[in-house]
Amino acid sequence: MIARLRLYVVGFFAAVLLCCVIPPKRIAWAKPLTYTIADTTGDWGFPSPYRSYPRGPGYLRMSFLFDTMTWKNKEGEVLPALARRWEYLDDENAYVFELNKSATWHDGTAFTADDVAFTVQYRKTYPMAWIDPKIIEKAVPIDPHTVKLVLSEKYAPFLINVAGTMPILPRHIWENVTDPRTFGTEKALVGTGPFNLLDYDKAQGSYLYEANRAYYGGTPKVDRLKVIKFSTEMVAAALRQGQVDAGSIPPDLAEGMKQAGFQVIRAPYGWHLKLVMNHREPPLNEKNFRQALAYAIDRQALVEITQRGHAVAGNPGFVPPDSSWYNPQVTAYPFDLDRAKALLQGLGCEVRDGKVFRGEASLKLEMLSQPRFKEVGLFVKEQLERLGIEIDIRSLESKTLDFKVLHWQFQLAISGHGGLYEPSFLKRGILDEDFNSVRYRRNQELTKLVNAQLAEMHPEKRKEIVFHIQELYAEDLPNLPLYYPNWYWAHNGLLELFYTRNGVALGIPIPLNKLVFIEKR
Amino acid sequence: MIRRNVPTYIAALLIILGVNFILPRMMPGDPLMAIYGEEALVAMTPGLKIYLLQSFALDKPLWLQFLAYICQIAHGNLGFSYYYNAPTLEVILGRLPWTLLLVGCALILSATLGVFLGIESGWRRGKGLDRSMLSTFMALSGFPGFFVGMVLLLLFGVSLRLFPLSGALTPYSGLSGLALLLDIVMHLALPVSALTLGNLAANYLLTRNTMVTVLKEPYVFCARAKGLPERTIRYRHAGRNALLPVVTRTGIWLGRIVTGTLFIEVIFGYPGLGGLTYQALLSRDYVVLQGILLVVALLVLLVNFGIDLLYIRIDPRIRHAH
Amino acid sequence: MHISIGAEFRKNRFGQVGLILLTAITVLALLAPFVVPVDPHRQTRRSFEPPSALHILGTNHVGQDNWSRLVHGARTSLLVGFLVACAATIIGAVLGVSCALRGGLYDGIMMRLVDALIIIPAIIILILVFAYLKPDIYLIIISIALLSWAGGARILRAQTLTFKERAHIWAARSFGGNNWYVMRRHIVPDLSPILVVEFIHAFRRGIFMEAGLAFLGIGDSTTVSWGTIMRNAVEYSYMNVWSWWLLPVGLALSIAILSLTFIGHTLEPVMEPRLREEASA
Repeated sequence: MIARLRLYVVGFFAAVLLCCVIPPKRIAWAKPLTYTIADTTGDWGFPSPYRSYPRGPGYLRMSFLFDTMTWKNKEGEVLPALARRWEYLDDENAYVFELNKSATWHDGTAFTADDVAFTVQYRKTYPMAWIDPKIIEKAVPIDPHTVKLVLSEKYAPFLINVAGTMPILPRHIWENVTDPRTFGTEKALVGTGPFNLLDYDKAQGSYLYEANRAYYGGTPKVDRLKVIKFSTEMVAAALRQGQVDAGSIPPDLAEGMKQAGFQVIRAPYGWHLKLVMNHREPPLNEKNFRQALAYAIDRQALVEITQRGHAVAGNPGFVPPDSSWYNPQVTAYPFDLDRAKALLQGLGCEVRDGKVFRGEASLKLEMLSQPRFKEVGLFVKEQLERLGIEIDIRSLESKTLDFKVLHWQFQLAISGHGGLYEPSFLKRGILDEDFNSVRYRRNQELTKLVNAQLAEMHPEKRKEIVFHIQELYAEDLPNLPLYYPNWYWAHNGLLELFYTRNGVALGIPIPLNKLVFIEKR
Repeated sequence: MIRRNVPTYIAALLIILGVNFILPRMMPGDPLMAIYGEEALVAMTPGLKIYLLQSFALDKPLWLQFLAYICQIAHGNLGFSYYYNAPTLEVILGRLPWTLLLVGCALILSATLGVFLGIESGWRRGKGLDRSMLSTFMALSGFPGFFVGMVLLLLFGVSLRLFPLSGALTPYSGLSGLALLLDIVMHLALPVSALTLGNLAANYLLTRNTMVTVLKEPYVFCARAKGLPERTIRYRHAGRNALLPVVTRTGIWLGRIVTGTLFIEVIFGYPGLGGLTYQALLSRDYVVLQGILLVVALLVLLVNFGIDLLYIRIDPRIRHAH
Repeated sequence: MHISIGAEFRKNRFGQVGLILLTAITVLALLAPFVVPVDPHRQTRRSFEPPSALHILGTNHVGQDNWSRLVHGARTSLLVGFLVACAATIIGAVLGVSCALRGGLYDGIMMRLVDALIIIPAIIILILVFAYLKPDIYLIIISIALLSWAGGARILRAQTLTFKERAHIWAARSFGGNNWYVMRRHIVPDLSPILVVEFIHAFRRGIFMEAGLAFLGIGDSTTVSWGTIMRNAVEYSYMNVWSWWLLPVGLALSIAILSLTFIGHTLEPVMEPRLREEASA
């Protein structure tokens, strides 16, 4: 009997030991780790390169599925993605990329240099939004994992704006697609990215992604990624109720969410609201007149009153004040009504009875405004009327306003645009024929410098040029940046969301850099 | 009684088509841009523009253009929405079911509750219950649907957290069967309440008034004399006749419910046609707006037509008069 | 007609309440500049402030006084409602009566048009129109009126038809009165109670539509409207200030509509029993 007891005891301990040594079997019905993101708009299009809406959020939805050659990390450093290494050949003005050999497409096919070459060629036939097809002159595959991209001209931001933005398409799927804008089958979603798309619901504006366990760049930290639509008013409530893990919140709630224990991050300034001036027609064609307006509008008060302090006053030099390219030495145009009046008088105007007169008639300007910025329009009108200029506000919806600005059918207008991270925006914003552009070419030196900075490959020299540009811009003041708004995201800390320095890809100010979701190997 | 006949419906249809047709062509500038909007135009290839110019017959005289337009509609071609990157009809039909669900529930609830309460109230005319119900509903009838919706959302959704904040269901929740049904019902609760309230009051008042009139009729007196139970008189005799005006007015109320639904869907972020209209307004997606006008108007006309037919069957006086 | 409006009001408690409320709102709106301490358009740094001595209903997102905006909003709503009612009633009266008097093909076509306009949901047409055209206050008034006259026209036509056969009309005609004369001297005065009722209905509809359109963003940006205030209040609903920003405005709108509903209900019996059925059908 004692022997049997001993047997039982030994058996018991052996069993316990065995249980500790053998790892527990993964329970098949465990819930997948899902990360939920709230988005205020919802639908940004089918997340394939030619179908996602050509806006930041649309690009990001697509970027979860499609990788690019390079990609930025939190500090804005250019890191390897599909390209493992690269080298710039100065004499040829070409980049040679050594590709990552372990990268595969979602359907298992191997990723090769042919895919890169094909993408470059395909884009010449079917231009993709965001990227200028003319920059890459040709793509030459050297071996299955090396490709040389020859540029047509010197382009300093190539690694970010092109190599870091252009999604690579699988040749074996797209080579027979003749109408990319209607190509919407499952095959259109095959990329090299860290996620697969499980579902996209246009009406609900929701996206469901599943982790790609075979991703070459690391392990996805979550099993599923959900993006659902919530109105701005409801995102904070949804966060508090645990319905979402992250989302953008109105600036008024930033403090409250922080105190409630959420992580709140602020976007680097990448968007601004400006007072657009028709510098082709009198009286705004006079530089001194424009400067007078700048002195008359108290931008700090504008921020405090209309934005409740959740913004930073505009920089007359164009570049946002927290940018590494910001020149603090430009003319600041602090609020000075007397100086403004003096400038006007210098132009031959008379100020009497609180009104400005040019010759016989009192000065009156028409300002186009949008309902969205109604309060700003009202404020600017008030300020200019204190100076003595009568302002007639016309409220238009944004597309009509853009149209009128584009065709110079205006005197003053209030509109905004973003993409203020990489200095290449200087060319887009000053010289290009776009309704967001100032289209100011009267200052020869300014024009020359704006073009020069784009081709200056040496970063130190480029910075010097950009600094000089800001000085000239602030002096001529073809338009007046009014403010840069504070944009916040809040999250519950499950993942470390971050704002990429200078924006994701070519400058998207949203903290949905796919690296957030990946554990690098 | 309002008896509409076919020419009325044709007139209504022509008005809608006329408005849809005339507005973009009245705008200064390129009519193609007025129809599609500038952003869409930028996205179009020259070949597509030529094709559209031809199919709209924009280079021909106005009446030919109108014919071309009607032809397109007849073929179910409501245009292509560049904002949604899909044919307009598809976009609209995709959102329609949710609106039908919302409107259907609200109509049924407001009709049944309204009639029931109206009958009960009319029966007890002048007494306590009647007077309190009358006052309550008279008061409620003044509140516009969208205000009620806002208050319900803020009170029950945000402050008390009893109901979801927006949408028709919880996306990707993995629910199915009964759980899914419950989820949808929870999302429907507040919007339907807001929508029902307005109509409920109107239904109630109308039924009550008609009931009061009907109760004075000789046949009710006769039924009482026959010794029929009160319940039977109330519902089978008086109530049935009180139904008639309600049915007639449903046509007009459809117009009102369209308005109400639009606001409710906007407030609750409900993914139906109302929400679509608002989004299309914001993005100036003219094609979708016109499509919605057409589809909604058609539906309203169809329902009215159906009710006209129904009315003939319900009202014995008319039936026998024929 | 021969039913005294005053008597109807004396009987009906709801009607009295409605009349009192409407008068109160109108008086407040008319006296706006005196009743209101602050300029409703003035933007300040004191945003989202709770009610205080200076700001009875607190301030909004740009520091504007909510009470001032409420009162000025009343002006807009009442003005729009009134003008819509005037326009709609006049158009409805002219067309409805002329249909009854003329008869024939004119009547036939007009009535189809009227019935069609009654069925068509006005809000979508309004949205479509203002997606294209710039929303100016007068354009808004005209558009709403153009989509509201039909109901009244039908009722007025029906009533005129019954009058047409009355003895005193026959007499007037036999003395040589033409259509215009008959309309002016006999029919219109007899129609006045119905005109009043239709006026009330159109007034109510005008207020509701204007607020609704403003809520959707279709409004004249230079005027303060209840709809715009509600729109802003909902936009910032997360700030938990809606109890003094949204509620008062919503209640004001509801009271305005309510008072008109009560008045309308009270006046409805002035119409003949036969028409009473028509009106509620």
